[in-house]
Amino acid sequence: MFFLKDLSHTISLHPSFFGPNMQTQLVGKLYADVEGTCSGRFGYIITVVLIHSIGKGKILPGSGLAEFKVKYQAIVFKPFKGEVVDAVVTTVNKMGFFADVGPLQVFVSSHLIPSDMRFDPNGNPPCYQSEDQIIQKDIHVRLKIVGTRIDATEIFAIGTIKEDYLGVITPN
Amino acid sequence: MAHRHIRRGANEEQDAAQLKLGEEFQNAHCLFISELNILLEAQRESKDHSGENRPQTNVLQKTVSYVQSFSRFTNRDSVREVRGLLAKDSSLSQFEIAQLANLCCDDSEEAKALIPSLHNKIDDDRLQELMNQMLTIKKFQG
Repeated sequence: MFFLKDLSHTISLHPSFFGPNMQTQLVGKLYADVEGTCSGRFGYIITVVLIHSIGKGKILPGSGLAEFKVKYQAIVFKPFKGEVVDAVVTTVNKMGFFADVGPLQVFVSSHLIPSDMRFDPNGNPPCYQSEDQIIQKDIHVRLKIVGTRIDATEIFAIGTIKEDYLGVITPN
Repeated sequence: MAHRHIRRGANEEQDAAQLKLGEEFQNAHCLFISELNILLEAQRESKDHSGENRPQTNVLQKTVSYVQSFSRFTNRDSVREVRGLLAKDSSLSQFEIAQLANLCCDDSEEAKALIPSLHNKIDDDRLQELMNQMLTIKKFQG
């Protein structure tokens, strides 16, 4: 799910940037620091939409760096267990298939694909096929997230299409 | 050891099927994919306009292409109308509203299967009415 969330970030600025352009420097550094990052707590921070406030700088004793607390609003993406999402299939192999939900990669194991869908390794591209559905690269599928694993810089999710109303989406 | 156990328990508490999103996101504002599409487009335009040189991250690029392919409502008016329609029902939570708008189901049975937290919250007839109105908006958007 995508959220609009108020967040805060502390920026340390090198003394060589102190001066008239400091605000621009801080804003640029905020974008560089937080956009595109991923944490277990907030998920993916996609983009900063608004900067609420930039706090007063505080010089750190010893190093001369100044610390600024910036409050901002960002669009974040966090997947939840039990959530149903639409995804784009990226790779298909005999273990299952990978699909992308925006920045998130979801793996659907062959055990969580309906048993009437058979893997066809000779297909070009390789695919899962049943009488009325086909899963191959670039196909849109609707899947349910059954679990997530959080890394330092990435989230991986496991999905299923072995339930009612899940599977290939026909474009309309 | 005890500490680790508590941590693990806290993690497993999150479950969208029971509407448990963890403390950070329980009351956060959910965005429709369609809203996000409009928002990101506006941001891109203003960036081009001001000539601001802000690097586009990989995560942003992937998100942009994702929301472009899955945006159900394409113009501002229809998105606003859907938001207004679903917001009228005070029993629905933010998360459920966004899921209904994103998945755009055909009937109430499908909606309840995909969003389990809707069970016992809203009766089928009312939900079906909402779905129908949403589909009408979708059909007649510009």
